[in-house]
Amino acid sequence: MTYEYGGGAFLIAWIIGLIVMGIPWMMMEFGMGRYFQRGAPGVFEGIGKKWEWLGWWPVFMAFLIVTYYTVIIAWALRYTVSSATLAWGAGEAGAAGAAPYFFGDILNLSSGPGVLGGLQWPIVGALALVWVALFFIMFKGARVIGKVAVWTVTIPWALLVILMIRGLTLPGAIDGLNYYLTPDMAVLGNIDVWFGAFSQIAFTLSLGMAGMFAYGSFIAKKADVTNNAFITSFSNCATSFFAGFAVFSTVGFIMHALSIPVGEVSGAGLGLAFVSYPVAISMMPALAALTGVIFFLCLFFLGIDSAFFLTYGGVISPLMDKFGWSRVKVTAAICVIAFLIGLIFTTGGGLYWLDIVDRTASFYGLLITGALACIVVGWVYGAKKLREHLNETSDFKIGAWFDWLLKVVVPAGLLFVVIYGGFMKDIAAPYEGYPLWAASMIWVILAVTLGLSFVLQAIKTKTPKEVSGK
Amino acid sequence: MTTGAIVATVVMSLVFIGGLWFCFSRMGKGGEWKD
Repeated sequence: MTYEYGGGAFLIAWIIGLIVMGIPWMMMEFGMGRYFQRGAPGVFEGIGKKWEWLGWWPVFMAFLIVTYYTVIIAWALRYTVSSATLAWGAGEAGAAGAAPYFFGDILNLSSGPGVLGGLQWPIVGALALVWVALFFIMFKGARVIGKVAVWTVTIPWALLVILMIRGLTLPGAIDGLNYYLTPDMAVLGNIDVWFGAFSQIAFTLSLGMAGMFAYGSFIAKKADVTNNAFITSFSNCATSFFAGFAVFSTVGFIMHALSIPVGEVSGAGLGLAFVSYPVAISMMPALAALTGVIFFLCLFFLGIDSAFFLTYGGVISPLMDKFGWSRVKVTAAICVIAFLIGLIFTTGGGLYWLDIVDRTASFYGLLITGALACIVVGWVYGAKKLREHLNETSDFKIGAWFDWLLKVVVPAGLLFVVIYGGFMKDIAAPYEGYPLWAASMIWVILAVTLGLSFVLQAIKTKTPKEVSGK
Repeated sequence: MTTGAIVATVVMSLVFIGGLWFCFSRMGKGGEWKD
């Protein structure tokens, strides 16, 4: 995002987005989860039975996200092995071969979403391994997840330190860091920068995906929820900021090694991880294979960390709350179903569908359900009531400013992103130039999952409700 | 590095390190996650 939106000035908009939108939203999800001692559906059922659907809709979004997110983790696992031998080539041959290797050898990318092609079996195998690992992490519940998370957070941090040191010692690194950090205040007048910053804050904190309500319910009854929300938000964003040094020093190295301007380096999303970084690895003067293994291992751990968080808090926990099913059975069922659905993303046309489902779930789904959740909690349940619950256990008492952030600023920020960056583009023309029938699946999936959310609302909740609040 | 980049690094580091120090210094209540 920093790369796409002009470097250093983006960080200013990003920090403002974190403070006025991200942290209040995090406090809301943690606080409501703790008060009602339930995941998202239970929280909204607690506000009023007619609102329960608003808890299930993000559950569907979380489920969709993990079906393709685990495929990206499988790519990272595959690349961890490939990096050991620099399978895409070394030196200039590797720089030229990185893109064909990813789109050809790994994905066998087809001509469009209508041509699926066959399954890519090495990715299917890696995907199966990922889901087996996730099952063993999740089936014993939140207590074990908390202990595993200590390692899956610490290990990537250690690897990031190594990658940052490696990046900073490469020629041209300073040019990349100057681009990353030097603020150009004039860029702040561009509405796209604010769109980018607010959307990045929404995605990076894993809000609007049902999970944080469940994790709020896991927090001890006397724990300081406000402090937990601040720590989670700051830790996440500090990691992103820190990772930027590893990324941009490498971008600077690519600029230097290939004698190209920054705009010609594919510096965002999947292109950065699976094309640009392999280009940099193949051009490194020393420790190329080791750096590659460390980078993709780091991606793997970061991915696993997010995946079990999202699957357990966003999907498994709400289903257990609703139906009273055993944890092992729900976990096994979700892992198998998500693996089977994820197979579509391992086909030759999988990358197109991954992009479409990502647009559906982690853009529209996340932002719309997030905005609606803030409106319902702020105006129907009552922002003041939530604030009083938060302040009961908080050392740092929050004031009435929180009410207005939750009731007005956060939903307005989210709706701005979804209207400006979503509806205005995707209604004018099919998303990313895909065929209309394929791009229309965005609206079909949103409508079907909304309908299913109302179906689940109509089903009686099996387990008794227990409120932790006053 | 440019002066702007150095200033941005220092300011952002202060925000995150200061923020986390403030929050962690107030930790104490809590404990393990429980379903």
